[in-house]
Amino acid sequence: MIPALFFAGILYYFMLWNVYISMTNYSILHPRPQLVGLETFASLFSDPDFVSALARTLLWVVVLVAAGNLIAILVASAVYNIESLRARNAATAFFIYPLAVSLAASGIIWRWLFDPDRGIDAALGAKILWLQGDNAFWSAALVSVWVYAGLGVLFYLAMFYNVDRSQIESAYIDGAGTLSVMLRVVLPQSRQALIIATVFYTLFALQMFDLPYTMLFLNPFVSTLVIYTFFKFATLYFATASATAVVILALSAAIVIPYSMFGFRKWLRI
Amino acid sequence: MKARVVVSYLIIIAMGAVWAIPLYAMVVGSLKNLSEVMTSSVLSPPTAIDPSNLASAAGRLAVPLLNTAIVVIPVALAAAFVGAMGAYALMRLAGSIRDGLITGIAVATYLPYQVALVPLVDFMKTLGLYNTLPGLALAFSIFYIPFATLMMFIFMTALPRQVVEAAEIDGASDFTLFRSVVLPLMGPGYVSTAIFLTIQGWNNLFIPLVLTRGYGKHVMLTLFSFTGQTGNVYNQMYAAALIASLPPLLVFVALGRYFIRGLLALGTGGKA
Repeated sequence: MIPALFFAGILYYFMLWNVYISMTNYSILHPRPQLVGLETFASLFSDPDFVSALARTLLWVVVLVAAGNLIAILVASAVYNIESLRARNAATAFFIYPLAVSLAASGIIWRWLFDPDRGIDAALGAKILWLQGDNAFWSAALVSVWVYAGLGVLFYLAMFYNVDRSQIESAYIDGAGTLSVMLRVVLPQSRQALIIATVFYTLFALQMFDLPYTMLFLNPFVSTLVIYTFFKFATLYFATASATAVVILALSAAIVIPYSMFGFRKWLRI
Repeated sequence: MKARVVVSYLIIIAMGAVWAIPLYAMVVGSLKNLSEVMTSSVLSPPTAIDPSNLASAAGRLAVPLLNTAIVVIPVALAAAFVGAMGAYALMRLAGSIRDGLITGIAVATYLPYQVALVPLVDFMKTLGLYNTLPGLALAFSIFYIPFATLMMFIFMTALPRQVVEAAEIDGASDFTLFRSVVLPLMGPGYVSTAIFLTIQGWNNLFIPLVLTRGYGKHVMLTLFSFTGQTGNVYNQMYAAALIASLPPLLVFVALGRYFIRGLLALGTGGKA
């Protein structure tokens, strides 16, 4: 137990240290940090690049949560209604595979799929220009949905399997169609999957880095909070990088703390 | 066949085809020769199979693959074991202390590790471990041991209590209990945790990117370096992506159910 608490302790220490650095002027210009209070945060929020990275990250959360849940529900419902157990398990595993592929490899693959001359545009016979300007954000968000939707499929299926079969059978005997059985019986009892998937999708979107970075490097149209943090760190503005990290920390903590407390109370009762 | 089954299969085949495109493109793209790559779409199958890209990518990736393996695999195996011991010790604590500690570990685990960027790099520089493989191993351990503790704890909550209690009545010591009763039962949980961490560590770009210089100390960095150098020819990038992704993909194919059980445990508890 000691090592576990020790390393968890290091993580908390890092977080506090990070908060301390964010209140200094630590950078290449000031290698000996001095406390400056909230000055770094004030200049952070007046930097349009930061504000746009923040807005884009929050939009990413919304897109991934909405599209990820919708696709997960669609695919999980389809998998659930297959009768063969082996086919169900194979299909579930298949939709998970992007999670075993690194985000760096995925970014590289998709950057060519989105190529204007040799990408999917050629197959579609259309010029969509996936990576031009604002399109780049939507394309990268689409790729993130491809990566993470399988996780939602898994959570929804786990909840679907918990639904009492006799309720479903009796709904069918009453003459209900599959769609209404899914909408009226199965999905309402699987609300927990919506919560869990939303928590995970939010966290994934808040820490988005590898995917946009390997697709488009430091392209301003896909700059996220973590990319901004990394850029400030790489250009030796350490206090600014830390202050951005504090913003990410605050956004994540708002999700993580209630989730951990709620999740554990449930598991410990078992 | 019932209509709903047919519709279900149609949805899965349509979505599955979209899901398969990147994997397909990576495999066929890595086999194309130079002249074909300049003109053909990433989706068109190769007219002639050219293994030279795979060979040259394998050559460039050989040392980084080895570096990654000697860092990631031992860290994952050890973290899962240390996590199992930690989880067991936590399990034996009184209710409210245990709940507080495990909630603290869970919060540390779920918060994005990227926020520790500046302190982590300062820390490694102070220890003199910046730009070294032991430094990478330590960084992965810092993040993965709490993670493994959480995951093993979740799996442990699903164990039948009676087994542990019966052994307790027999007067077994804590360590004997752990070794002879809990550990054998935790086999699948251990495998899930170790596989989950191996795949996470293998696929991590961010930690090696900030903790090392150059592109040789982790396979994801080397893969990333291909994007800068091979400009307009996707066959080499795809060959590198394929080789770098192959170890985790093979683990996923062979032991996917353990990986999936690990994912499920993090979301819905150890019983599912």
